[in-house]
Amino acid sequence: MDNSIYLSKIAEFIRLLSEEGFSVGTKEAEDACKVLEMTGFEDRETVRAALKAICAKSQAELSVFDRTFDHFFVSAEQKLANLKKALKEQQELEERRRQAEEELARDRQFLHPDDEMIGGYAELPEEEKERLRKLLGKFRDNAERNPKLYEGFIRSVFMRSIMEQQLMMEDSELGVQELDPEIGLLFRDISQINDSEMPRAVAMIQRVTRQINGELSAKKKASAASKGALDFKRTIRKGLETGGSFMRLKYKRRRSKRRRLVLLCDVSGSMIQFSEFALRFIKAMSDVSESSQTFLFSEDMVEVDPFALQDMDQFVSYVRKTGLYGKGTDLGTALEKLCAAKPAVLGPQTTLLIVSDAKTVKLDSAQQSLLRANQLAGDVVWLNPIPQRKWSRLKSVQTMSLLCRMVPCSTLSELARECRKLALG
Amino acid sequence: MTAETLKKKLDETGYIYDDTLITTLLVALKLGRPLLIEGAAGVGKTEVAKVMAYALGRELVRLQCYEGLDESKAIYEWNYQKQLLSIQVGMGGKAEKDGADTAELTRSLFSEDYLLERPLLKSIRSEKPVVLLIDEIDKADEEFEAFLLELLSELQVSIPEIGTIKARSVPFVVLTSNRARPLSEALRRRCAYLYIKYPDIEKEVAIIKAKMPNADDRLALAVAQAVHDLRENENILKKPSIAETLDWVAALEALGEPDLTPEVLQKTAGFILKNEEDIAELGTAAGSCGCTEHSDGTVCEGHGAPGHHCGHHHH
Repeated sequence: MDNSIYLSKIAEFIRLLSEEGFSVGTKEAEDACKVLEMTGFEDRETVRAALKAICAKSQAELSVFDRTFDHFFVSAEQKLANLKKALKEQQELEERRRQAEEELARDRQFLHPDDEMIGGYAELPEEEKERLRKLLGKFRDNAERNPKLYEGFIRSVFMRSIMEQQLMMEDSELGVQELDPEIGLLFRDISQINDSEMPRAVAMIQRVTRQINGELSAKKKASAASKGALDFKRTIRKGLETGGSFMRLKYKRRRSKRRRLVLLCDVSGSMIQFSEFALRFIKAMSDVSESSQTFLFSEDMVEVDPFALQDMDQFVSYVRKTGLYGKGTDLGTALEKLCAAKPAVLGPQTTLLIVSDAKTVKLDSAQQSLLRANQLAGDVVWLNPIPQRKWSRLKSVQTMSLLCRMVPCSTLSELARECRKLALG
Repeated sequence: MTAETLKKKLDETGYIYDDTLITTLLVALKLGRPLLIEGAAGVGKTEVAKVMAYALGRELVRLQCYEGLDESKAIYEWNYQKQLLSIQVGMGGKAEKDGADTAELTRSLFSEDYLLERPLLKSIRSEKPVVLLIDEIDKADEEFEAFLLELLSELQVSIPEIGTIKARSVPFVVLTSNRARPLSEALRRRCAYLYIKYPDIEKEVAIIKAKMPNADDRLALAVAQAVHDLRENENILKKPSIAETLDWVAALEALGEPDLTPEVLQKTAGFILKNEEDIAELGTAAGSCGCTEHSDGTVCEGHGAPGHHCGHHHH
């Protein structure tokens, strides 16, 4: 068998992995070729294991590797089945488009259906199409009489409906992608984690925080162990034990400056689950937790008793007791109170961490208060559970992100990364 | 080395392997790349280095990483005390009068006589190739990873006072990590990668039988099933390792317990679970099962939380 045909395939496969975000290049392609010349191509699983050893470098990459491998190195039967499936899907899509085009053609006078609208309308669920049909039925007579007056309005309702559907499909894709359930949960939108998955999510948070604590401890030990300048006093004193010879050299230790963390968590309606996750992360990080102060807010703000958060499983019932549960969001009032607190909560050594989706009432007053908090605190970081791709559509998020460092934290993985940054400085 | 030879050698050590492990080891050997092994604690990562030392007929040089480990403990260190003594001896003698001897003494202070070899240097200066195990690399700090990069990619060590020391032989390097912290991309890129999961029930039984050939088959299966269930239980903080499974079987054999009843399970829980919360959780899980005796081997499903089995009645 001529292996050179397969070797070009390997190069192509490495390129695909690179597109998937793997840190692979020419060296890996060369290594893969060397190894596969030794193992041969007869056994698919051997080829998989050999390429995996060379190209995948972490547990998270293993499942992506398997998926890419299965898509690339398909068996002949699988190839045929995929082809048939793709053909069928293509035919169905064309049929749906044709029907949509026919349906919309009737009202082309004021609807002006273009490719985007036809394609989007074809993918809408039947109940949504029915809603739009009813809308058209209601306004058709008027629109036909005065197309200029109505075309903008009707078109905007159509396009909004299509956009919402596309966003929902984007979100659902996040779930489809996961092959490894353990890793998948880390990359899922937090709002989509349901009650039955909570224990797994909590266990995962514990595991990640253990990792962060390990890093923190290693960093602390390393900085303590790292040899700074020679400590003459201690070296001379120690030298007295050995008749004045400096047999043991002593070095100065570095002191680390600790930053205080003030948490302001939004617990209104939909934010409570995200705030719970964020608090679980931060409370589990021993060093950060020791020097932090937590405040919860919705329409009002209360400081949290640190002992009350020791058992995070009771978090929701604790929030209920505070009377903040189920209310709206007023960030301005919360920040105002925080800035005016006596003794002062915010100072140059403080990092203010706001955990909120920025959907607040009285945006102007919130803006003013955030500016004031920015002046008082050393740093202000905003953890936002809304995915970044949706920020451009939300005025409050756009405004607030200009005033402080806003970080998208829609998944546990993003939340973990930001908490790690906070802890390690 | 071929796959068959390697399999034969691993069989001799009693190490239970799968085809992925064999292929990965061969890939690392063929490419001369270090092998980075990740996985939970106690899945047999360190054991891979040991069995490879046996399979290749090489000496095993081990470097146990810990917080604050630096190059003086891992690569080399100057024997400061010996240098100081030599200076004092030299100063007291004729060197005091002779300038040339003083210069010679200074030069000799940074020669190989005063060099203390640590595991990494030892592994590359050895005449015969060795297997170098860098255990729990995640415990060492990031600066140490940077030292490793030169050694792993160039197979050389730079000592400012002497110069570059090149490897006399190429060691087979195995790095293990429990993922206490993420390793740098640079280090990962230089390694072949293997992730070892906890073994499934069948493999765990095989491990028990390989390590303890006299263990009762039924007991081995019951223990493997119970350990598997404990690992699946998300409320158990410290998942039992393979070594603990073996300890548990040994304890049960020593006590002469042929069956893993809830009472025996509670009595011997200390061999498999190592903290109070986990033992309490085991009590809850076994208690929620509500069964006291299943001598007939019946399977009771549908009670207790999922994944919380008492472990004695699933054979």
